[in-house]
This record gives sequence, structure tokens and C-alpha cells, in this order.
Amino acid sequence: MTTPKEIFVKIDRCMGCHSCELACAVEHSESKSLYSAISEHPVPKKRIYVEWTAPDSRMPILCRHCEDAPCLHACISGAITRTEDGVVLTDADKCIGCWTCVMVCPYGVIGRHIEEHKAYRCDRCPDKDIPACVTACPTHALVYDTVENYSGNIRKKVSKELAAGLGG
Amino acid sequence: MTAKQTRYVIIGASAAGMAAANAIRELDSSGIITVLSMEKEMPYFRPMIPFLISGKKSESDIALVGNGPYKGKDINICTGARVTFVDTKNKIVSASNSKNISYDKLLIASGSSSFIPPEIEGTNSQGVFALRTLSDAKKIADLTAKTRQVVMAGGGMLNLKTAFALLERGLEVILVVYSGQVLSQLMEADDAKLIRKALNIAGLKIITGCGVKKIISGNNGVKGVMLSNGKQIEAEMVLIGKGVSPNIDFLDKSSIRIDRGVVADEYTATNIPDVYAAGDVAESFDLLSGKKIISGLWTNAAEMGRCAGRNMAGRHTRYLGSAGILNATQVADVPFVSMGIVHTKGTDYETHVTETQTTYKKLVFSSDSKYLVGALFVGDIKRAGLYRFIIREKKNIDNIKSQLINHKLHYGHFLQ
Amino acid sequence: MSGKEDFSDKSTDPAVLQMLEKAKKNNITTVWDRYEAMKPQCGFGDTGLCCRHCLQGPCRIDPFGEGPKEGICGATADIMVARGLDRAIAAGTAAHSGHAKHLAHTLLKVAKGEVKDYSIKETGKLKSVATRLNIPVTGRSDNDIAKDVANAALADFHEKDTPVLWAATVVTPARAKTLGDLGLVPKGIDHEISEIMHRTLYGVDADPVNLLLAGLRCGVADLAGCYMGTDLADILFGIPQPKATTANMGVLKANAVNIAVHGHNPVLSDVLVTLAPKANAKAVAAGASEINIVGICCTGNEIMMRHGIASCTHSVSQEMAIVTGALDAMVVDYQCIMPSVVSVAECFTTPVITTMDLCKITNSKHIEFTEEKAAEKAGEIFNIAIESFKRRKNKTVDIPDIRSNVVAGFSVEAIVAALSKLDEKDPLKPLVDNIKSGNIRGVCLFAGCNNVKVAQDKNFITMARILLKNNVLVIATGCGAGALMRHGFMDPLNVDNLCGDGLKAVLTAIGEANGLGGPLPPVLHVGSCVDNSRAVALAVAVANYLGVDTDKLPVVASAAEAVSEKAVSIGTYSVAAGLPTHVGVMIPVTGSALVTQILTEKIKDITGGYFIVDLDPESAAQKLLAAIDERRAGLGL
Repeated sequence: MTTPKEIFVKIDRCMGCHSCELACAVEHSESKSLYSAISEHPVPKKRIYVEWTAPDSRMPILCRHCEDAPCLHACISGAITRTEDGVVLTDADKCIGCWTCVMVCPYGVIGRHIEEHKAYRCDRCPDKDIPACVTACPTHALVYDTVENYSGNIRKKVSKELAAGLGG
Repeated sequence: MTAKQTRYVIIGASAAGMAAANAIRELDSSGIITVLSMEKEMPYFRPMIPFLISGKKSESDIALVGNGPYKGKDINICTGARVTFVDTKNKIVSASNSKNISYDKLLIASGSSSFIPPEIEGTNSQGVFALRTLSDAKKIADLTAKTRQVVMAGGGMLNLKTAFALLERGLEVILVVYSGQVLSQLMEADDAKLIRKALNIAGLKIITGCGVKKIISGNNGVKGVMLSNGKQIEAEMVLIGKGVSPNIDFLDKSSIRIDRGVVADEYTATNIPDVYAAGDVAESFDLLSGKKIISGLWTNAAEMGRCAGRNMAGRHTRYLGSAGILNATQVADVPFVSMGIVHTKGTDYETHVTETQTTYKKLVFSSDSKYLVGALFVGDIKRAGLYRFIIREKKNIDNIKSQLINHKLHYGHFLQ
Repeated sequence: MSGKEDFSDKSTDPAVLQMLEKAKKNNITTVWDRYEAMKPQCGFGDTGLCCRHCLQGPCRIDPFGEGPKEGICGATADIMVARGLDRAIAAGTAAHSGHAKHLAHTLLKVAKGEVKDYSIKETGKLKSVATRLNIPVTGRSDNDIAKDVANAALADFHEKDTPVLWAATVVTPARAKTLGDLGLVPKGIDHEISEIMHRTLYGVDADPVNLLLAGLRCGVADLAGCYMGTDLADILFGIPQPKATTANMGVLKANAVNIAVHGHNPVLSDVLVTLAPKANAKAVAAGASEINIVGICCTGNEIMMRHGIASCTHSVSQEMAIVTGALDAMVVDYQCIMPSVVSVAECFTTPVITTMDLCKITNSKHIEFTEEKAAEKAGEIFNIAIESFKRRKNKTVDIPDIRSNVVAGFSVEAIVAALSKLDEKDPLKPLVDNIKSGNIRGVCLFAGCNNVKVAQDKNFITMARILLKNNVLVIATGCGAGALMRHGFMDPLNVDNLCGDGLKAVLTAIGEANGLGGPLPPVLHVGSCVDNSRAVALAVAVANYLGVDTDKLPVVASAAEAVSEKAVSIGTYSVAAGLPTHVGVMIPVTGSALVTQILTEKIKDITGGYFIVDLDPESAAQKLLAAIDERRAGLGL
């Protein structure tokens, strides 16, 4: 079994352009094309949120698909499961819209679908090899990689910096 | 030499019991796990049973095993097994339809049963229910065909959900609630304005200021009720929702310490080694005040059960305490979330209320302004989980107080 | 496994494909590479929901309704989109305005005797234009008439007692009335551009319908700029007549001094063509066979139409001409010149020479061209090219051996002259009769550019094929003509396999009547982008003949692979003239349902014309056929 990949966020790279939000909504539309998606009913919903903190930080925040997801355990209808690939999914059929998951999610990334009365969140784009938000980011602030690779790359970079700092 | 397989026995197959069973299985792949349930059905998601009444969900839809996080393998579930005695000296559990079971680790998660106030007369009739189990729900669902009007005693969450289920089936529903407001356990009168409005629109009739005194029945079961003010109402079904009490009878003769419920410490352990308690039956402590409480909530039970399971499997895990009030649901089309301390009348908590036509938000801060101790959201529940996080972790809110009050808080603020 | 890269999604032109492989092998970055790197492109820009008109921005509106629904100033999506579209129309109009103004100044200098390298080539046209403008011609010298015409042209740019004459006098009387009633007659070409800039400023026009009407009016001003450009260029350089020539990269010659003229204004390109023979001796002395001028983009069309100069390539593939290594100079004036040509040229020996102050490119060579010193500057340019040839003459070049035959030069005058061979007294009659009989189902004008988002030429050739087979008379301008000419659509030998029987019969009849020994080409090359005014003139002539307005004719237009803002402004005047106008790429208006609906439906109610946005060429062709048939039905045909 391959190691699952996560979506990492390089906060300092985020330009706040919201392209990831657009791409996410389009990917979760019926027509999958921007021009048609914007006139669909119900309106396609994004699952990634670009938030702003004063004075000038922009933060894309999305479901972390936690290994020990609080939502998973709190769900009173058994609608939330974790797949073998590590993706935490809300089954829309089982979801009764009780919002307990919204209440326990420490990231605030579970949304309330107003038309369907169900909870929805990032599903890691099951129909794509690379999630739509990652592909859409023009500055590569979103990185789709395994924990090992991602941390490994940071270690490599940091060790070079440290070595240089030590006069190495 | 083969490792000895630990024998885990769990009394109760609902939230706490099954969460514990799955937590154990995650950590111990070889242990023998036996779960005893006094109900005859396989485990199910109890909060879903009002949907059986409305017909929106079937029994198989709300089955627990194999759904959500409950996917642990090789968990033996014995249904219809009512535990009669626990011998903690010899580590044996006796149950009604099975032989004695020995345990290495025992979890008491026997849950709670509906409390029927003794001062209401005539509660033994056919057609009087205190909705608690799948079996109750099935009986109610069956009776709806012959029912025109239902009287409900008590304005708690489960009763409200059931009221809606019955309204959806086309029945007339009258809710009789003494305190003058619904969900009084979860919020104060002003807080519930929007919910009252939604309930009115949904067709629920509410009578306040009195209670159900007597249930009047005839040959075919319930015919009506008499209220404490003398008024009589016709009804073919009466539902009592006056809270629950822990199922502890079978522990009478054991040496397990019991107060209002089974006493459990920070690691969910009881006073007896290798015996743990979790869920509705357990007395734990409120995470904010430290006071002893019994929680009747699924979410808390699951969390405590999971914690107990981990401790039983040898992984020392502290239980952070129940948030006494921790509720989320939707009434008519109005979602609400209530957590922590929300009853502030007459206290010196600092409260901030933001109201619009369709939303109501109340934040409760400690009197020294240092901590968020409660939050109530009606109509707009976005990012409620962030507030729970702050309440539970007792986070210092100096930097984020204004974002909290203006509801502009998001996860990014924690990363700064 | 050999990885021969497939470039077929980038271009359908075999010469361009060869050069793409060479570029890849030599690590030369092309426009296609930069397009890939730019993906994904911003959805807010794409839908027109981004505004940077003030310093409180930048603002964006969330098309999915969860984020901001208005800009910071309160501008709604409808306003934001309309303002953006208006500015594009203004920009396009400004380009043609500059082009026409340049010609007007040149004509004035000719009239004053200040420029010896320019002269009046068409006295007849000078007089007919003057007459149209109510300028007296009897018994006056050409220079006197020219002075008045030039001054009238220059006056059309600003407000005066009369509206823009090059708009008011060139449409049908009914159209002039309709435009007048709607307030769409421009007051001054530059005035309209300036007013759009004012109107779309922070805190000015905030009514989307009002904004769009102003855009329409500016589009009509663009028609005036184009028409003026055509008229003055014809007067100064000659009215195009049909002539045979060639197109595509095979027109480059390994042992000639190859000079590509790129850009728009014949003020530069025409004089280079005229003065080239003077430099031939020098070229031969340097070891070349001759000076070989080839065209890229519209200026290439101008000299093809008038002098039969071959076209090398067009638009999106402009860099590929340099990649042959055989260009000894690329001489540019303004518009549609990618700054990247300089970087590509640096990989070869090709100098890029800019000639106009308003269009300089870093690292290019600048020779400031003035009409007064035309011969001197041309000499400098030829010298540079010859030097460059000397440096590369013994190196291998990679000229794709691909060229197509082209018959070009179909000005309205030429078309009417050709028709008069069928009916001397009433030349439009045979055209109208064939339209009525259905031999010619309708007319379609292909205009505009090549867009990197479409496999080069694919939309043009797919649509043209369908329309020709359905007996639609196809005329073309700009790089639309460029696309079609490079694929043999202007080769009379292809009439048999491209055209439906009715159309074939008409083209053959006209060709034989004119002594060509065969049919006219399948597609008639009408000229450069300003020469879209020729298409309008033809439509107006036919409309006047039939006694109807242009919005009743079975005439449609298509900018199948549009790029420049000039395409937006031309499309606008095409709609203002009453034509169903197809655009084959997305324009940034989908963020406003209102604006989209107005442009594609409601505008029909006021001008008779409308936009058809369809990115699929086959579907688009069917829509154009349907529009043609609707018009035919309206005329009772």
C-alpha cells in the first residue's frame, strides 16, 4: 500500500488570489467547467478557505484528514469514515445534518450545505490524481506529497542553511 | 511461547461500549473482545432513532457496526444479554442468557434509561413511551397509524427531535413543558427565540407553565392527559422526555464505587483495578468547573469510551472531561450549536450577544475575561469547532478576543 | 521508446510544427511554453470578475456567491464586467485610431509636398472619398483635395460640429438613423476612447446597460478608424487588385536577404517594398540573390494585397519565422508584436528592428522611421539586413519547404470590377441574384487572430470547410485570412474539393468572365484588419442595392481565434452594423449573466446584430448557418 499523500500549505507563498477556492468549487460542480459551474443550482461549494489575518497573512485552510479525526468519532450517524488512503469522508446519504462534526472540528473546515442540509468537506478530489486546489495554485503554495517527502525536503533545506551558517 | 490474549469484557454496546471496543482493537490486534448488550438488536446509532419514527431511515440505515469509525474486526457482540452480577474479586461477569464470562479488563458502559417521574399517574398504559431504544422507536412507529394527536412531556432535545419526526408523519403534536421554554437545559429563554419561531412555523404546539399530571387511558390504550392546571387534552400517544438515569442496579452488590453514577477518575478507571467506566453510566467531571457531572450525550460517551478503551489496552490516556453542554442539531431548518456554560442569568460571566433576523450568537467569557467558557450559535454555526477548541483547551484569548466577539475568528489566527 | 513530441494540439500548420520541433531541440521558449506555464489562469480574470481600476483594489467577486458579491466601491459583477469590456473596446479603438491618424498625417504631408517618398496613387478614390465627405473636387488639384481630406480625417478624432464623418457617411441611411436614435453615432474617435476611460473610472458610470451602450458607440468609432485607415491607405498606396502570390515559410529563400515586415501600417511596409529594388545591387554584392521581403500579420496583408508580396506566417507563430534561422531582419512598427521575438532572435543572427517611438522593445535595434526620411531609414534597414545576411549566409538554415498558392487583393472595387464582367451596367446584380437563388447561401467574414488556446488555425479551417461546402461565400481579413491562406483556402485549384456546387458555379463564372481560365479562389482575401471596413462597405453596398439595412442581410462574421482587444472592438462594430458575430474563444463576460445575455440576445433588439460565443468550431459553423438561414427567411428567400 502506497503511503498516502497530504496537502501541505506553504503559508508564506499564498497570494490570497482565491484560485484554489474557485478550482475546488468547479471540481465539485456538475459540469466541471468554470463557465457552466457559475450558473448551476445548487451553487457548487468550495471546501478550502483562504482566510486573512492582520496585517497581511493569507492562510488557505482545509480539512487535514486527521489520523485521529474528532469528527469521525463524534458523528452520531456513522456517516464519517476514514478510507484506506487516509481520506476522511462524509457520506452524504448517512449524514443527517446534525452539525456535531462542525462542532468538534478544531479547524472549522466542515461546511453546512444549505440546500441539502448535510455536512460537506474536502474529499481530496477522488476523480483526480492531484487535488484541484493544488493544481490551481499559481505560486505552488499548496503541496501534495507524503509526510516523509515533505518533511525530508524541509530537513534538506534546513541542514544546508545550518551548514552554511556554521561556515560549512 | 505465545503471548497471552487479554480478555476484554464490555458491558453495553452503545456509544461508549463500541467506541471502547474499537479503540482496543486498534491497539491490540489479538485480544479477545466481548461486548454484552441487554437490547436484542445489534448496536445502532441511538440519536438516529427519531428517524425511524419519521420513516426517513430504516433499521439497517442506522446500524453501527461497520460504519463510521466502528470498523474493528473480531469484536464479539452478545445481544439480549442482561448483566446480573459483577464479581470483581474473581473477575467474572454473569449475564442473563450466557454463561459466566471471565475478564482481564472490564468496562462498565451500561448507559442510562429514561427517567419516568413517579408523580405522573398512569404511565403504565399502552401508548405511553419514554423514547430511548430502537425497540421503543419501532413500537412508536407502529402506533402512529392509529394516532391522531401526541402529547409530549418535557422540552429536551430528544423530545424535540421526536416531535418533528411525528409532525412529518402528519400527526398533531403538543409539547407540554413546565419551564416555559424549550431546550432549557441547553440555553436560556432569550437564546431560544429563533428556535421557538422555527418550531411555530413547523406546526408544533407548545403549552408552558404546567406539566402532565395524569395519563387517561381506556381499553385501547391512551385516550388523553390531564395537565397540572386541570385542563384535559385528547391524545392517543404520550411521550415522556424527562431525562435519563444511569443503569447501575446490577452493581448493587459489587464493591464498585457509585455516587450518582459509577465513579470514574481522569483515566476512566473506577476504584477497582482493571475496571473502567464510560458513557452515560459514568460520573465524570465537567471540564470547565471540575464539578462532577453525568453526561447524557452521544459525543461525550463516544469520547469517554474511546479513552477508556485505550486505557484498557495499556495506553495511558487522560480523559479531558465532558463538556457538560455540548450539543449540535437542527430544529426545523435552524441549526444550532450549544457548548460549555450558556446559562448566565444572575452570574458574573461576561456575555456578548449578536443577533440578526436569522441568527443568534452568544459568547460567554469568564468573569476575569481571560477565557471563553461557553458559546451558543443559532442559525449560523460556521466554525463552531474552533470555539469548542478554545473552551476545552482553556486557551488564552487575549489576542483573539475581538475576533471572537466579531465572529471573524478562523484557524489562521492560531497559527500566528 | 522514442518520444517524438506531439505538437498537434499547438498548431495545424505543418511548417509551424517543424519549427516547434526545432525550437524544442534548441531549448527555445515559445509562446506555447509560456502558455503552459501560465496555466491554470486566474478564474476571476477569466470571468471578468476582477477590477484594478482604483487603489482601493484589487477587487474580485466570487462567482459562487460565498465571497464578496461586490467590489469595495459597491460595483456589482455586472458593472465590473461591463467596465472591463468597455476598456477593451476603447483599447482596440485606440489602436486603429493611431493607425489611421498616422496615415492622415502622411496624406497631409504628401499634400504639402513634404515627403518625396510618398504620393497619391489613387486620384479616383481620393475624389470619391472627398465627395462622400462633402469636400468639393471639381477643378481642384489632387494636393488641395488631399489636404482637405487629411484635415477632415484628423478632425474626425475630436468633437466638432459634425459627428464622426467616417462613421456617419459609410453606413446605410437606415443604419445611420438607427445609430442616431440610439445615441450611438460617435462624436470623435479619440473623444469616445477618452470618454470610455472617464466612464469606467472609479466612481463614474455604474449602470451596466449604459456602459454597454457607450461601448457600442466606441465600437462604431472603431469602424470609423478602420474605414479611414483603408481609405487613406488605398489613396496613398493603391487600391488592391487580384494577384497571385504565395504564403507560408517556404517563401523564405536560403540565399536571399530575407526581411520580414511585421506589424500593421503600410506607411512603413509599403515604402520598404517600393524602395527595395534600390538595395538589390548591394544585396547581390553581398552574395545574395536578391532582397526578399515577406510579410507577417496585417502589414504583410497590406503589401500582399497591393504588391503580391508573399506572407511568411501569422500571429501566434510569429516566433517560428525567426526559428528558421533564415530571417536577416524582422522590421516592426506596432501592434501584435510579441516582445519575445527579441529573445528568440537572440538565438539566431536575426536583428529585430523597431521603427516607431511608441513601440520599442528592450534589446532590439531602434531606427526611428519618419516619413520625411523614409528613403534614408529604409536604406539603414536594408544595410542592417544585408550585414546580417553576410553573417549567416554560409550557415545552414531550416526553411520548411511548405508554401501554398494564394490569390489575394479583393478590395470592394476589385470585387465590383470582377462582377461587372458579368453585368457591366449593374455589377451587384449577379451577386444579389446568386444570393437569391441560393447559389450563395450567405456571406461569412473570417477575421481576427490566432489564439494560443486553440490549435493554430483549427477553428478557422474547420468552420470554413463546413461553410464553403454549404455554399457560403467566405471572405477573410487579418490573421483569419492568414490562417486560411496557409491551408490552401485561397488557392483556386481547391475550389473543387472545398466548395459546394452553387458556390463553385459562381466563383467559376466570375473567374472565367475575368479571363482567369478558372474560378476565383474559394476564400476571398479582403485585406488587413482595418480592411474589415471593406467587408462593411460591401455589406452596405448590397444592403443599399436591396433597399434594406445591413441587419437583414444573410451576412455573418467570425473571429474564430480572437486575441487582441482590436478583435473586441471590431466585433463590437460588427454587431453594431447588425451582423451575427461569432467569437471562438471565451471573452471575459461570463461573470455577469446580465452582460452575457445582453451581448448574445438582447442586443439583437436594438442593432439587429449579436454575439455568438462558441468554442467548438463545428457547433459554431452550424450556428452561423442557422443565422444565415434566419436572415434568408426574413428576406423571403
